[in-house]
Amino acid sequence: MLVLFTDTDCDVTPAIAKEYGYKLISMPYSVDGKTTYPYIDFDVFDAKAFYNVLRTGVLPNTSAVSRDVYISYFEPIFAAGSDILYVHFSRAMSASFEAMDQAVAMLKSKYPGREFYSVDTKGISAGSLYIVRFVGDLYKAGKSAPEIVQAAKDEVDHIGFYFFVDDLKFFMHSGRVSGLAGTMGTLLGIRPIIYVGDDGKMTSIGKEKGRTKAVARLMSYIEELGDDVKNHRVIIGHSDCLENAELVAEEIRNRFGRDIAIEFTVVNPTIGSHCGPNGVGIVFHAKHR
Amino acid sequence: MNTTRITGTLYAEMVRNGAATLYNYRSVVNDLNVFPIPDGDTGDNMYMTIESGVGMLSDSVPSSLSTASDNVARGMLLGARGNSGVILSRIFSGIAKGLKGVESADAADISRAFESGVKEAYGAVAVPVEGTILTVFKDAVNYAGKRINKYSTVETYFEDFTKELHDSLDRTPDLLQVLKDAGVVDSGGAGFVYIAEGMKDVLGGSFTGMTGSFQTNRKMPDISTFTEDSVLTFGYCTEFLLRLQRSKTDLDAFDLDKYIGYLNTVGDSVVAFRDGSIVKVHVHTKKPGDVLNNAQQIGEFLTLKIENMTLQNNETNIQNRFTLPAKGKKKRYGIVAVAAGDGIKETFRSLGCDAVVDGGQSMNPSAEDLVRAFEKINAKTILVFPNNGNIILTANQAAKLYDKADVRVLPTKTIGEGYAAISVMDTNEKDVNRLTADLEDAIAGVVTGHVSRAIRDAEKDGVKIVKDDFIGFSHDRIYTDAADRNTAARELLGHLDAEHFDILLVICGKDAPKEETDALYHELSASFKRTEVIMIDGGQPIYDYILVLE
Repeated sequence: MLVLFTDTDCDVTPAIAKEYGYKLISMPYSVDGKTTYPYIDFDVFDAKAFYNVLRTGVLPNTSAVSRDVYISYFEPIFAAGSDILYVHFSRAMSASFEAMDQAVAMLKSKYPGREFYSVDTKGISAGSLYIVRFVGDLYKAGKSAPEIVQAAKDEVDHIGFYFFVDDLKFFMHSGRVSGLAGTMGTLLGIRPIIYVGDDGKMTSIGKEKGRTKAVARLMSYIEELGDDVKNHRVIIGHSDCLENAELVAEEIRNRFGRDIAIEFTVVNPTIGSHCGPNGVGIVFHAKHR
Repeated sequence: MNTTRITGTLYAEMVRNGAATLYNYRSVVNDLNVFPIPDGDTGDNMYMTIESGVGMLSDSVPSSLSTASDNVARGMLLGARGNSGVILSRIFSGIAKGLKGVESADAADISRAFESGVKEAYGAVAVPVEGTILTVFKDAVNYAGKRINKYSTVETYFEDFTKELHDSLDRTPDLLQVLKDAGVVDSGGAGFVYIAEGMKDVLGGSFTGMTGSFQTNRKMPDISTFTEDSVLTFGYCTEFLLRLQRSKTDLDAFDLDKYIGYLNTVGDSVVAFRDGSIVKVHVHTKKPGDVLNNAQQIGEFLTLKIENMTLQNNETNIQNRFTLPAKGKKKRYGIVAVAAGDGIKETFRSLGCDAVVDGGQSMNPSAEDLVRAFEKINAKTILVFPNNGNIILTANQAAKLYDKADVRVLPTKTIGEGYAAISVMDTNEKDVNRLTADLEDAIAGVVTGHVSRAIRDAEKDGVKIVKDDFIGFSHDRIYTDAADRNTAARELLGHLDAEHFDILLVICGKDAPKEETDALYHELSASFKRTEVIMIDGGQPIYDYILVLE
């Protein structure tokens, strides 16, 4: 038997996990020294409350998951004689995956014959959720693990993931985005436009002044790179700013038709710790990343 | 008294007394403001400019008129603040050129030198505006020059000169509509009249003492910013007057150029000149001791002033906190902004400014303040963003005085234009001309409005202004008068078509209470749906709100 895993950095809630039968690995964050594990320490993510704390100027931190934590998730599966397929957020963004490698190596020597498959979504948040759902569909359709991994890998190469944030200081604090220009400031309406490339890392590719121009810039990418957009998933992720997400959605409906299906997702608190409140991003099927 | 010739000593006294007279009347000059708000500073600017020239005069040494006028001019060029100050410094610089090599001068010589002053002052501004200090000075020079005859003395020349100064000043409202509308005469012209009157008084034997003490906004250096572990980054501003000593050196053989050459090996920003046996030195050096020891080998000090520049202007020392340039490596672009208000200065630093020079409408920085900021930046090109039209000329003068980088002054006349330009700046652009063209485009797309408290009843642009009300204006036009600042802001924004802009940045002044600014935010967000409203606690004086529309 094959057991699916994913993690909370992929914007997967217990409800979504249940839909496909995923087991959910909780990725921690800490505010003022207090560490929280999503969906372990709380049942429902109160996005408004979380992002309002960030709006007061608090800069949270995130931490990697240790080898032993991974072992505690994976060992019962191997012990029961099942294999694992883990769909995770971008390996290039976290040290967690070295711990995962160690855990897997240890477990495989302990349980020879068990298989561990993984899919690097090369994304986070909505950018990963797209692949989590993609894999889940294939799993439900009864595809084998090697088939799923190959299909997912191909699909990852066709994910367009572009977003802008409101207040640069969160990324400045986390250091996870490269290419940020010095003349951006914070909370001045200047929005860095960021994308996640082939390397699974976030890179700033410019800036726009004002929400209107930033939304137009996102649209320019979906126009230019979009590939059969309407027949694939379109996901809009936002960090507690439904208003901006709706602006983007409306533009997409205007462009691709009113009946286009758009999924909204709220950025999970761990990734929200990096991007801060009021960010908006789009995920679509693209000619290339 | 029947003065036929002006000597260096007399000229020095005249300039000193001109400065003292302006000093006594500077608030009168400040109040000649076309806007009924308390931001006039022409008198202060002109006084600080001429005072900087007076500081270059030595006290008791008889010197040639050529030397004295040259020293005054050098000091003024460096100390120039504000447009009127810059023009004033160029008038005196032109006069000095006209007096070059002259031991003393009669009325005709003075007239010719003044004509040279007219020429240089007009050359200092790109587009000379009539009805200003330029016109007043030019008219008086022409009038007095034509009346010179064989009986003329320096005194009769100055009688004619000052008479026409007054008459021309009275005519300035006929030439400039803004003056007429405000019911004032030109402030720069008025400042010059006081200086000339003071100069003339010396010829009649009377001297004006200064009354009161001059309060500048210059802050004491914060000595806590230089700690036990601080590193001396910028050296010391070292200034002294040295009396050459016969016992130590051959006065006739002393070679000033050679001495300047030496100073340049131990420091920079060297200004040095000789006045008889006195040498005046200004140098920025990390080892003032070396400079002093060297100086003492040829003379003794009359005055001495040394300031640690690392703490003196400490805030200009704070580099962009996000992308610190590699040590010792020259950046492509350095950014200098002029700003007033702690919040605004902090905002500009967060935008990536390498140096933020304190100043604005009510306190203009001098050319030297800007040069000092330039010196702290290791960049190929330095871009300067003034926050007031009155600082652009000073910045251009500073750019001319500084030769270690290509200094470009952007024509930003408000803090909003500076914000708009810096925030779109592409620091990767290699072509500086294309970059400045892009920045100028950004500046052109900005509308800035101001809300400030009225200091007198007035009527302008069809708006009835009541003292202590709040007026809303943009550029030179007043749009509204209201009893409270939020109403003034809302009405002004209505006039400026705020709903058609993407961004409305509201920079709140130090007099605007938090409850009111919060209320304004909610009101504006509700009424301008598509415009993004951003509030900044600017902490600036005078303007309760600066509204920036993009």
